[in-house]
Parts: sequence; C-alpha cells; structure tokens
Amino acid sequence: MFICGYHFPASEGNDVAFDKVIEKVNEGIDASGKTVTLSSETREGVVLESIEVPAGTFAHTAFVDYFENTDIPTKEDTKMVYYTNKYQISEISKSVDGDVTKDLCKKLDDMNLYRVKVA
Amino acid sequence: MAELRQIAFYGKGGIGKSTTSQNTLAAMCHYYGQKILIVGCDPKADSTRLILHEKAQSTIMQLASEAGTVEDLELEDVCKPGADEFHPDNEEITEGYIMCTESGGPEPGVGCAGRGVITAINFLEEEGAYDDELDFVSYDVLGDVVCGGFAMPIREGKAQEIYIVMSGEMMAMYAANNISKGILKYANTGGVRLAGLVCNARMTDKEYDLAKHLAKQIGTQMIHFVPRSNHVQRAELRRMTVVEFSPNSEQAMEYKELARKIIANDLKVIPEPLEMDDLENLLMEFGLDEEVEEDAIGKKAEEA
Repeated sequence: MFICGYHFPASEGNDVAFDKVIEKVNEGIDASGKTVTLSSETREGVVLESIEVPAGTFAHTAFVDYFENTDIPTKEDTKMVYYTNKYQISEISKSVDGDVTKDLCKKLDDMNLYRVKVA
Repeated sequence: MAELRQIAFYGKGGIGKSTTSQNTLAAMCHYYGQKILIVGCDPKADSTRLILHEKAQSTIMQLASEAGTVEDLELEDVCKPGADEFHPDNEEITEGYIMCTESGGPEPGVGCAGRGVITAINFLEEEGAYDDELDFVSYDVLGDVVCGGFAMPIREGKAQEIYIVMSGEMMAMYAANNISKGILKYANTGGVRLAGLVCNARMTDKEYDLAKHLAKQIGTQMIHFVPRSNHVQRAELRRMTVVEFSPNSEQAMEYKELARKIIANDLKVIPEPLEMDDLENLLMEFGLDEEVEEDAIGKKAEEA
C-alpha cells in the first residue's frame, strides 16, 4: 500500500505501522535548519493563511521529504500537497507529535488545498 | 515484456467512475507511457468519450444489430484509437496509447444489459484485441453487481484487479461493500482480487477517515483521495481529460499520482465485506463531526 507516497509491499498488509512510515520518511532526509511553510487555499483559489510547521516534528520532516522527493512542478517556489498525503501526514503527526502539531493537524484535516515551501 | 494486467473500475452509478477511470488511464498513458485498451461496459457508452473527444462511439451491440450478428463485425469497426496524444501513431508526448471500445446494451427496459458485456468481451478476445503490446486492459463497469451480467468481468476472471470508485456518502459505501461481496464470491474460482478503493471526494466532513476505515475493514487500501475540482467539468465540456486539457494543473497531478500507484500496486486481496450494521456504525463513527444520539433517530432537524 501507499503512505506518504511510499510503497509498502503487499506482504506488509493493509495496516502498516506508523514506525515503518516514519523510518521511511526519515531515510536520507536532513530537515534540520529548514523552515517549512504551508499555505492554504479554497477550491476557488482564494488564499487563506500561511502556517509554519513546528521544527523537530514528524510533520516537519514529512513535508521536507515531500517537497524534496515528490515529482510535481513548483509554482512560485511551492509545491501543491496531494490531499491523500496531507491527511496521512496529519494522521501520523497526531499520533507522534502530540500537542505541538494539534492545531496544524486540525487544519490539515479540512478540505482546502495546501502548498508547501521549504527554505 | 510485462504481463498484461486486466483491471476494472466498479462503483455506484453517478459516482464519477467513467470520469475517474478515463482521467486515471489518461495519466497512465500521458506520464508513464502505458499502452491501454478501454472496454466500456456501460449501456450509456460514455466510458471513452474523453479519450476519443467525441460523443459515445458506436457500440459493439449496436453495430452487431445493424450487421446482423457480432460475427459479421471486424475489430477495426468497434475498436477505435484515442484522439491526439492517445493515438498510437502520435508519439509527440507519450509512447503510450489508448484504444477504445464500448460494449453497449439493449434499449432501456428491454433485454439484459449484461449480455452486451459478455458478447463484447468474447468478441474482443476472439478477434485478438488483447494483443501482446498492451500493458493494461481496463473495464469500466456500470453500477452495482447485483445484476450478474455486470459482474461478468469478475465472474469469468477477465478483470483480475478491481478498483472501486466511492465517496464518503452512505450509498456509495454501500455499493462498494456490495461489490466487495461480488468479488469475494468469485475470488476463489476466477482469481479476481480487490486492489483498492478510490475516493472520488464529495468533500463531506471526515470523508478521508470514512473511506480509509472502510478500506481497512474490508481488508484493502484507500489508494487515493481524489479531490473535487471544477477543472474536471471544464475539461469534460471540451470532451477531454484533465490530463490532456491542463497537464500541469493540480487536478492532473492528483490523477498522475493515482496512476503511479496503480502501476506499482501489488496489494490485491480477497475482501472481507461488512455487515449492514457495521457499515452504518462506521458512518456514525466517522461520518459527521457531531454525534447522533439514539433518541434522535427519525426526528426532524427542528425536533432533534
């Protein structure tokens, strides 16, 4: 199955442990010192707000990994975030990052489109 | 050369099966060079219009009726190359291509529509439409599988991996669960497997959670959440897929990602369908932000 863009072989079943996903996301990614900014917009393209992802969290590493490894054209230094991925990042972050990303995850669970920028 | 994969898109009527399947198959061709045959198994014959850039093509059943019998038809009569970049001779954008055919069916209210599907698939096989060059054959199948005729690609082991297009609405989930029952019934005899749910989102509350948990409970994966986008309608008005109409748009990227996953997918399972009560419980648990108390069942909004 596919989580955060990674393929986990069928032998691992349809309920892959978060630990395995976190391990995969962390492989080869150095997210330290990077600033991750998300911007949200409605389906009609109205930009709503800009949010900084707390450093040192899974969500932070996952968005750096997404930005660096996802094959999507950049638009003004940002990449759109697949809805599936934002929901999956939120789900794992809620479980491992606790209160630090609580508000962020609540936002990620909405129906808006998010763009990510890593600087 | 890779083995031919026979996939099928099933789902409740009106859920966006044909739109989802055509956009996904277009992405498989456009971005990944896949060679594909689409077999439309819906009497509406609209499973290929976005690839062909034209209204429903003449169906196998229609042409057979005009010619006398299906034996009087030639493959070229019923199997058409996709338009522009999907044409086999056009390698400007992709080396892949899409061939299209529609089974068709009887007039509304007359006869068995499933027979069209059976006749069409047998004809295509006999005439060599499933050639060695193809990477995928894709069946786009109408509605539910309560009608045995429409379960034919599953029953006869033609479609090996099934993708169910659904949303977070009760009836779409009910249909997804029912289709899983159909797959389960023929899994041991025909070798068919459930390969995943595709959530063609209605953008309702907690839709991702609902689709994901349904997938998990029936033993499969929610392979991709496709958001709702006006781009799809804009492209459809031009009789095009989003992938062709606007290949760098956000919506095209979503279909590209779904295409990548389908090509790489190896999670093909015998499903474990839910009982109706469990399905309702799932909806209660994840479907709405507010809980509904037992004593509110059957009460109007102003009473509850």
